[in-house]
Amino acid sequence: MSSSRDLLGVAWSGLTARRVRTLLIMLGPIVGVAAMVAAVGLTESAKGDLKQRLAQLGTNLVIAQAGGTFGSQNPTFPADAVQRVRALPTVTNASATTNLSSVIATPIAGGSDYYQSFPVPVRAADASLPSVLQVPVLDGRWLSATDEQLHMPSAVLGAGLANQYGHLDGEIRTIRLNDTDFGVVGVLGSVALDPDLDNAVFITQWSAKHVFGTDGKPNQLYVRSQPSSTQATADAIPTAINLGGPDQVSTKVPTDVLQAASQADKTLQQTALFAGLLALAVGGLGIANVMSISVIQRSSEIGIRRAVGHSRSKIAAQFLLESLFVGVLGGLLGALIGIGVVYLVSSFAHWVVVISYQRIPVWMTLALGVSIAAGLYPSIKAARLEPLETLRLG
Amino acid sequence: MSTEPAPGAPTWNARSDDTLLELEQVSRVYGDEVPVYALRDVSLRIHAGDFVSIVGPSGSGKSTMLGLLGLLDLPTSGNVRVAGTDATTLDDATRSKLRGESIGFVFQQFHLIPHLTALGNVETALLYRDIKPRERRERSYQALADLGLSARADHRPVQLSGGEQQRVALARAIVTEPLMVLADEPTGALDTANAAHVLEVFQELRSPERAVVLVTHDPTVANTAHRKVSMRDGEIVSDERAVQAG
Repeated sequence: MSSSRDLLGVAWSGLTARRVRTLLIMLGPIVGVAAMVAAVGLTESAKGDLKQRLAQLGTNLVIAQAGGTFGSQNPTFPADAVQRVRALPTVTNASATTNLSSVIATPIAGGSDYYQSFPVPVRAADASLPSVLQVPVLDGRWLSATDEQLHMPSAVLGAGLANQYGHLDGEIRTIRLNDTDFGVVGVLGSVALDPDLDNAVFITQWSAKHVFGTDGKPNQLYVRSQPSSTQATADAIPTAINLGGPDQVSTKVPTDVLQAASQADKTLQQTALFAGLLALAVGGLGIANVMSISVIQRSSEIGIRRAVGHSRSKIAAQFLLESLFVGVLGGLLGALIGIGVVYLVSSFAHWVVVISYQRIPVWMTLALGVSIAAGLYPSIKAARLEPLETLRLG
Repeated sequence: MSTEPAPGAPTWNARSDDTLLELEQVSRVYGDEVPVYALRDVSLRIHAGDFVSIVGPSGSGKSTMLGLLGLLDLPTSGNVRVAGTDATTLDDATRSKLRGESIGFVFQQFHLIPHLTALGNVETALLYRDIKPRERRERSYQALADLGLSARADHRPVQLSGGEQQRVALARAIVTEPLMVLADEPTGALDTANAAHVLEVFQELRSPERAVVLVTHDPTVANTAHRKVSMRDGEIVSDERAVQAG
């Protein structure tokens, strides 16, 4: 519509004709939106490193631990626990490990006394553990299906253990478990969500069964759920494993603590948000005030526009559109300034920048709404001006 | 009012079917409790080709008349017809459109919009009419050029002399090719030389299709017109046609 284009042009020229005044009334939406963007941005960025770590770890890992019946010494899950858990619709992946508490690992020949006093945990694991934990294999490879099928005495070391006894990348090395030498085929990366695994030795379930005589029943499950249903999954796992049986299953979401720590200071954030809202509201009053005065100052312009055929509604639209521009531009500038402040402060404080971009349009819409509301009265006033009075006919 | 053509009168003394604008039994009353009649039962026809001056002392109702003729105001009673359309029954948008299309205004104080250039001021009259920006600019520039202001198109009002400002206002009034140019003391704020120049322009604006109406209390200005409507106390006291017009 060329008429709307005309209107845009008229409103725009009205604003650009008085740049200082326009900038001054824009300060309200600018300060308001900038304050809100910066408030949330800064409080979130202060915890940005924790948030970043959480994003890397994923908050959807559930660890299930066998509790056994009351008094049992070495509680285990049923042998098919992983299959049962995988059947849950919210579970995307799962892996089982078995603690071999009777096996003594001796990483360094001759250190057996020491390792009997401070045992290295030995765990039987399946092929999917690294992918469930989302941890890379640092050197070599993880236990494979081939190891199981060919009954290979393969072992993988946790990153902490490998470090502790000076494992070199590519080194050919064995580790003695009880009386059997196992070949070290790889080193698992550090598992931030379960640091116990860092010092462990991993072997196949076949080795656990046939070399050390276990029953093959797991006692830990690592489970990944769909991102939004972590807690629901954690709650469902005991039932899925037990099917109403007497065994105790405890579950935990290891990122819960981290997540709590990463929460921004809500009180501070809300105070700053409130300050931003206040700035917007005061800015809105400023717009209404200045626009009202402007209508009086521009009464001659309004009169002449009416005389050349612009209707009351066009005059109202012209002034309302000027307010709208103030809101849009002020909101946009405010958002940019707010983002700039967050980046600036974060660079000095060495924070990881976190900006909730999805919330910025909401605040900008708020600024726009305030500007339109503020422009409503002046534009109605402008439309109601009688051209005969404003033109001061002779 | 005589409808008889004066002897030797030119074509502007038109028949009633050439009526561009008509006030019929129009009264304009201000105030509710104590009514003040600014106009009382006034009837007036402006014909195509007319060059009319409306004269009278202060408070005679000239400005009220101008407001009604220009559709800027509505009568308390009576009808205002523009090219046969009763303007008193129209809503604001339609009446504004009719005003913009049929009437061009020139004011004593020029009333140019200060933040717009001369060209921008002329363009104002062509806004909201589904005219492409390029055509709008070209027509506005042509109107300025016709009044010898092509070199001033990019100047703001404050950079123009009084005479130039009034010519910009004239360009704005005629760029829409209105049926009637309505001027309120168009030379009131000008020196003698500029006033004479502007009056010349008004003379040139005359055409068989168009009417020019000047509201003035200056006899020199009034005498340039071919028809003189005199007012007093809200009534028309005489409506004379000059025999030696043109």
